[in-house]
Amino acid sequence: MTDTAPAAPRGIDPRAPRFAAWITSALLLVATFLGLIGASARTGSASFGWFAYQPLANSAWGAWTLPATPIGVRVLDPAFVLTVVIALLFLWGVVSPTTSPWSVLFRRVVRPRLAPPTDLEDPRPPRFAQGVGLFVVGVGLLLHVLGVPLALPIATAMAFVAAFLNAAFGFCLGCELYLLLQRAGVFGRGPRAA
Amino acid sequence: MSPILALLVLGALVVIAAVAGVVWRARDGRRRRGSDVVDLTDLGVTPGRVTLVQFGTETCARCPQVRRMLQGIASALPTVDHVDVDLTHRPDLARAHRVLSTPTTFLIGADAVLAARFNGVPRRADVEAALSELPVLQEAS
Repeated sequence: MTDTAPAAPRGIDPRAPRFAAWITSALLLVATFLGLIGASARTGSASFGWFAYQPLANSAWGAWTLPATPIGVRVLDPAFVLTVVIALLFLWGVVSPTTSPWSVLFRRVVRPRLAPPTDLEDPRPPRFAQGVGLFVVGVGLLLHVLGVPLALPIATAMAFVAAFLNAAFGFCLGCELYLLLQRAGVFGRGPRAA
Repeated sequence: MSPILALLVLGALVVIAAVAGVVWRARDGRRRRGSDVVDLTDLGVTPGRVTLVQFGTETCARCPQVRRMLQGIASALPTVDHVDVDLTHRPDLARAHRVLSTPTTFLIGADAVLAARFNGVPRRADVEAALSELPVLQEAS
């Protein structure tokens, strides 16, 4: 088929982004688990580990201990470390989709075992989706460093839902909602030369 | 949070995501009827022609498959056109036609009235059924 838009780059196997989405959703599920059992979701006024916790009496954050946790502990939280790795993989997928680890793994190991693709897909939507994933987990990482409880597991859970819908149903949430994001002011508004 | 509770939360998360996917798939591409007159400015529609207007963006993963299907339908019917509108840099058009997600397809009659609207990937039979209800095509057949 040659009826793709004139400016569209060369097509990719549509199964490659789905394959990557399965791995990404598994990693995000593990990150969410670690986030829920880690520093981000810890409550109570007891001292824990190697430093004492000062109870925040009547604070808006209630019994969450993360705001009083030293920044070094927040950053070394296993959920944070894993989410940084996931964020770097998203970044790789945005900057250089063809050399990203899951895409290489798909080409070397998976694709030779499959029938040739019946159809090729525009590489721009999955690349954009990686950027949306990077943005979501990036916000979670930032808020976690700033000491917002539950921000990290909520961000990874949201990214998981998006990755899972992509892997299992072929829905690219970020792609479909591009216009909604645009309207919300995430991208430039005015008409530009294409 | 205890590991058991965390696992329960994860289980709920997977169930919610799966249900959302099933519901979305069931609703996706369903035909909605319309009766408004469509402002044809900048849509590339020839006035007086029955037109399938497909809205897409550069980031729309499922638009190419819809484009192929609609082109196939339009090329088989001499009185029907297919136009593709790229909204990537045209938020004004997206707002004017209340397009919030892509692909979105309008079936616009010869009188510029919106005959059907499909949000998502339309089923071929639904598009053909909507076309067959238009007066122009009934006369032609």
